[in-house]
Amino acid sequence: MSTPTLLRAFRPICAVIACVLLAAASTGAQGTVRDRLKSSLFKIAYETYVDGNWEIFAMNADGSQSKNITSTPSVNEHYPLVSPDGSKMAFSVDSGEGSENVRSLWVMDIDGRNRKKIADHAREPFWGPGGKVIGFLPQEYERFSVTDYSTKGMSFYDVASGKIAPHPNSANLFHLYNPSFAPNGKWIVATVHAGMGVSHGTLLIEANGTRIINLQIPGCRPSISPDGKHIAWGPGDHELATAPIDLDAETPAVGPRTVQIMDKTNKIYHVDWSPDGKLLTFSRGPNLRGDASRAGTFQAAAEMVGAYAKDWNIFAVSAERAGVLDLNTAAEGEFAQLTTNGFSNKEPAWFRSNR
Amino acid sequence: MRTESFAVIAAALLLSGCSRGSAESSVPAPVEIATKSGIAMVYVPAGQFTMGTGQGAADTLPAHNVTVSAFLMDKIEVTQEMFAKLQLSNPSQWQDPKRPVERVRWLEAKEYLNERSRAEGLTPYYNEKTPDWQPVPSANGYRLPTEAEWEYAARAGIDGPYDFGSADKLRQYAWVGENSNQQTHAAGEKRPNRWGLFDMYGNVSEWTEDVYSATVKNSSSSTADPIAASTGGDAKRVVKGGNFKSTADLARATFRTGQQTGNTDACFSSDVGFRAVRTVTPEELAVLRK
Repeated sequence: MSTPTLLRAFRPICAVIACVLLAAASTGAQGTVRDRLKSSLFKIAYETYVDGNWEIFAMNADGSQSKNITSTPSVNEHYPLVSPDGSKMAFSVDSGEGSENVRSLWVMDIDGRNRKKIADHAREPFWGPGGKVIGFLPQEYERFSVTDYSTKGMSFYDVASGKIAPHPNSANLFHLYNPSFAPNGKWIVATVHAGMGVSHGTLLIEANGTRIINLQIPGCRPSISPDGKHIAWGPGDHELATAPIDLDAETPAVGPRTVQIMDKTNKIYHVDWSPDGKLLTFSRGPNLRGDASRAGTFQAAAEMVGAYAKDWNIFAVSAERAGVLDLNTAAEGEFAQLTTNGFSNKEPAWFRSNR
Repeated sequence: MRTESFAVIAAALLLSGCSRGSAESSVPAPVEIATKSGIAMVYVPAGQFTMGTGQGAADTLPAHNVTVSAFLMDKIEVTQEMFAKLQLSNPSQWQDPKRPVERVRWLEAKEYLNERSRAEGLTPYYNEKTPDWQPVPSANGYRLPTEAEWEYAARAGIDGPYDFGSADKLRQYAWVGENSNQQTHAAGEKRPNRWGLFDMYGNVSEWTEDVYSATVKNSSSSTADPIAASTGGDAKRVVKGGNFKSTADLARATFRTGQQTGNTDACFSSDVGFRAVRTVTPEELAVLRK
């Protein structure tokens, strides 16, 4: 058989192999997202509203064995963030209604024991590398507002000593929200709204200094990947993205988007990296304003902490995929729904499970 | 005669009906008062006016008669200083205490109004536990104007597109695209309208309570104190008045547009602010004037 004839004979087989390779490349790894979640050793904490109360639940990465960690029918907990070693959880608590509400920050063991208050009139805790400090944002005013950027300054809680110290540039930081540490501990990434001379943007804030770099990306709620080489964020209400970032450069900048998750129908928010950087979780639901008739909730955009987000659930996708994934047309294997009850399931946070 | 005295008399003559336009209606002169917390408001007397226009953009049609009850209206747009005084985080792009607050969501405006009511011992007008913070009609607190109230106050008894006459005078009365350098300015710097209200034609556009509809005359509305109320969902609300980006056409008293109320992180506009109104009885007005 001549070479051309041989090629013609194998053409259909080659086509099949090419399709398989392309499919693997687009999903980023072998197997469906759900298959990968089933074999994952990580867990996911999230906030949810059950029986008239906010609680923090934790579940396996595939959504199985969901368990109420807080189990406090009279206390409203949300915004869980787990320490890098998976042993402790920082979270916020709301006590009161409307402008009289006091939002406080707490830390507890991952099993819900040994709760300890960190600060009153504060929000949005974030763990430092190594889990020695918990950063947080003091409120701008004592009067409560559900608006996420109602913050002024930045503080660090030392887990060992229980002492609180301000960020060295705290006096010049205001209207930040959703901060998180880069794994190298050098930078903190956060969104700012109408503050620090920026209309709306995502900033790199030097953790131990005064440098501030505007990353010049639209949208909000950034998060740096565990290897420190990518950033995930929400460019808009209906889009999540990842892109490379060089945090070791003199002036770090964000490269072209590698992953884009789109949903024209629903809002998609609260993206978080798995501890190995291979998967992303996020919350997704209808574009509604929070149902404020429920106790302990506020009327604000559904994605806000404290707003009851009807029919919102937690989802996961591969972080290793490339290109655009439209959730309304994507194949079943390309993403996975982890919660199904729609009880305002939001703010997913991956963690390493030690038990 | 001192200059100030002359100015007061001249203003009184103007307000009492000195003719500036052929279609002017006769209404009593408005009165300026200071609220308990020192904010200047203008008493807008009850009256009748022609709302909308017979020719123009489709959503400004048709011209129709409307009666409006008396109310108090802020003399200037709510400033960033006023907003921060009530411990509300300032969302404005153009940060300056004297400039109007902008990029303010519709519900954040209502939050300010309820807090201002509480600060002055009034009953908050909005029920914060209902969708869109529904009005409590029996409450005496501050609220957003209805579209009819806003247009009535802007027109100040004149039927034309601007209460001061023609578009060539717009620069004297408003910060609009041609003179603003594409940004807001301190509230109250330009000339007020005939009823003493500043920046009705420019600086920032202003939220109203009404749901936006395709025509200005809502078929279900009464002609007395009409309001297009929400029927559920995240309906667009009517925004009135020109702003620092507007052309003369878009600064007319009849101009209206519908804006999403801003229940998003990313999408709300730097050219929309608001001002407060409040319904008062003649007895209350008498007390406030003392």
